[in-house]
Amino acid sequence: MEQSFELADSTDWIDTPLNLLGPLESSLRCQICKDFFTSPVITSCCHTFCSLCIRRCLSSDHKCPVCRQADQELKLRRNWTVEELLENFKKARPSVLGLARKEAARIKNGGDDSSEPSPKKRKVNHLDEPEPPAALSPRRVRTRSRGAKVQADPTHGQEEIEESDVAIEPEVIEDSQDEDYSDDGLVPCPICNRRVRQDTINTHLDTCLAGDSPKPPPVKSSTAFGYRHPQGSELKKLERLPAINYSLFKEHALRKKMRDLGISDAGPKPLLQRRHTEWMNLWNANCDSKNPKSKSQLARELDTWERTQGGNAVPSAPERNPVTSKDFNAAQWSANHNDEFKLLIANARKKSDAQVRSTIPRVSESSNAAAEIPSPTVPSPHFGTPAADQNDSTPSG
Amino acid sequence: MATGFAHKRLSLPQGISIVKADDLKEWQMDIKVLDENPLYMNKTFRLKFTFSDRYPIANPGFTYSEPPEVQFIQVPDNSDTPRPIPMHPHIYSNGIICLDLLGRSGWSPVQTAESVCMSIQSMLTANTKDERPPGDKEFITHNRRRIRDINFVYEDDDV
Repeated sequence: MEQSFELADSTDWIDTPLNLLGPLESSLRCQICKDFFTSPVITSCCHTFCSLCIRRCLSSDHKCPVCRQADQELKLRRNWTVEELLENFKKARPSVLGLARKEAARIKNGGDDSSEPSPKKRKVNHLDEPEPPAALSPRRVRTRSRGAKVQADPTHGQEEIEESDVAIEPEVIEDSQDEDYSDDGLVPCPICNRRVRQDTINTHLDTCLAGDSPKPPPVKSSTAFGYRHPQGSELKKLERLPAINYSLFKEHALRKKMRDLGISDAGPKPLLQRRHTEWMNLWNANCDSKNPKSKSQLARELDTWERTQGGNAVPSAPERNPVTSKDFNAAQWSANHNDEFKLLIANARKKSDAQVRSTIPRVSESSNAAAEIPSPTVPSPHFGTPAADQNDSTPSG
Repeated sequence: MATGFAHKRLSLPQGISIVKADDLKEWQMDIKVLDENPLYMNKTFRLKFTFSDRYPIANPGFTYSEPPEVQFIQVPDNSDTPRPIPMHPHIYSNGIICLDLLGRSGWSPVQTAESVCMSIQSMLTANTKDERPPGDKEFITHNRRRIRDINFVYEDDDV
């Protein structure tokens, strides 16, 4: 079990007494990228994915990857509940996991700590308690201390009451902030949705519109209001890009469109299409985001795409055709495939054209992939890659 | 690239265990059929997953995600852990499996090594025929293609 990865993973819980949190965490992860949801959206078949993940899927497959029901990007809707759930889970995760690991280590060391109640707790977890005892969350501890204060009787010293007051303080303020939310003097920026002080909104707007807003931390994090209140009306400003039917676009029209969007128009038409699709997906997924990125940030992401999957991507090894590579060793090749060549020649001699035709229907009526084999042609490259190659497929150049 | 890796340490369903998953090139899993199908009782089979350099991202122009290559591998009977190739009308005797979910058209990015193992488990469970696919001999002698290049025709909806 290597912890060298600093990646959070649902398997982190397995070896702790809270192993039932593993499945909980799994369900907060996108089934496509296996990471926590980023801007979760729900499909018309009610499956939830990251906005970008499902957009990429739908733009190539047009169906839900889970149930394979046909769907369209237009029908995706944001899933705020999941986002909120996730945000709060992520906040709680480090402390809960820390405690769980501490406990796991303690158990491993034979539980030799003097503290009594813990072994009992562990037993409960192992049986059927689905959730960890809430005593692990700091909030609960505070609630208790508040209860203690209410019950505080005159026999207790003044100091002790003051102490419990101090413990309660942060929570009380938090609550009142929730309720006074709209009175905090902040207004949401219509571009980036960050909350900004009213007297600075104009300067903020200028930088935002310039497309490269600085990234102040969101002033107010996730309260239930925070999600619904500003978003609905303001998000109209971030307009989504419509999908376009590439076959209706002449190449130069597509290039112009891409220049207008501010993205590169270089490369052949298929590449233009893929780049436009990727940009549309990035852009529209960004529209689903609670904290949308600036256009220049998106442009950098498109650039990453360009280097890894787009026009600048290095073709992967299996795509290389060994026959056309510079260091192609003809003798080696013919030695390796000698048997195949002989078989092909034999087949070619045996069969007339008519017979060759008759083999073709057989291909489709049997599930047998071998039917292609007797085709009496010189092996085309995709046909003859030796099986041995798949084990040591190092890029040849 | 760490996406598939996450599943390495998951608690696996019954009858599935990891033999080897040290990197993102090749994984091996052992699977057992859980019910009392006489064809596969008391036998364990070994699956090999081969991931391409690009996994899970498909080659340009194809679908969004790319399947790994999945096939059975054989471990000889005289070894400590004999692993035969299961008898099945869609499994060739060289271990190549004809199953639509493993092909480009049937693959979905939500599939994981775990879900693939379970699909194959159920494909075995449901089988009653002690036979190889038609043309098995010919196929295994002459096939030199990589699994991903084989154009299977999926015509049997019973499995």
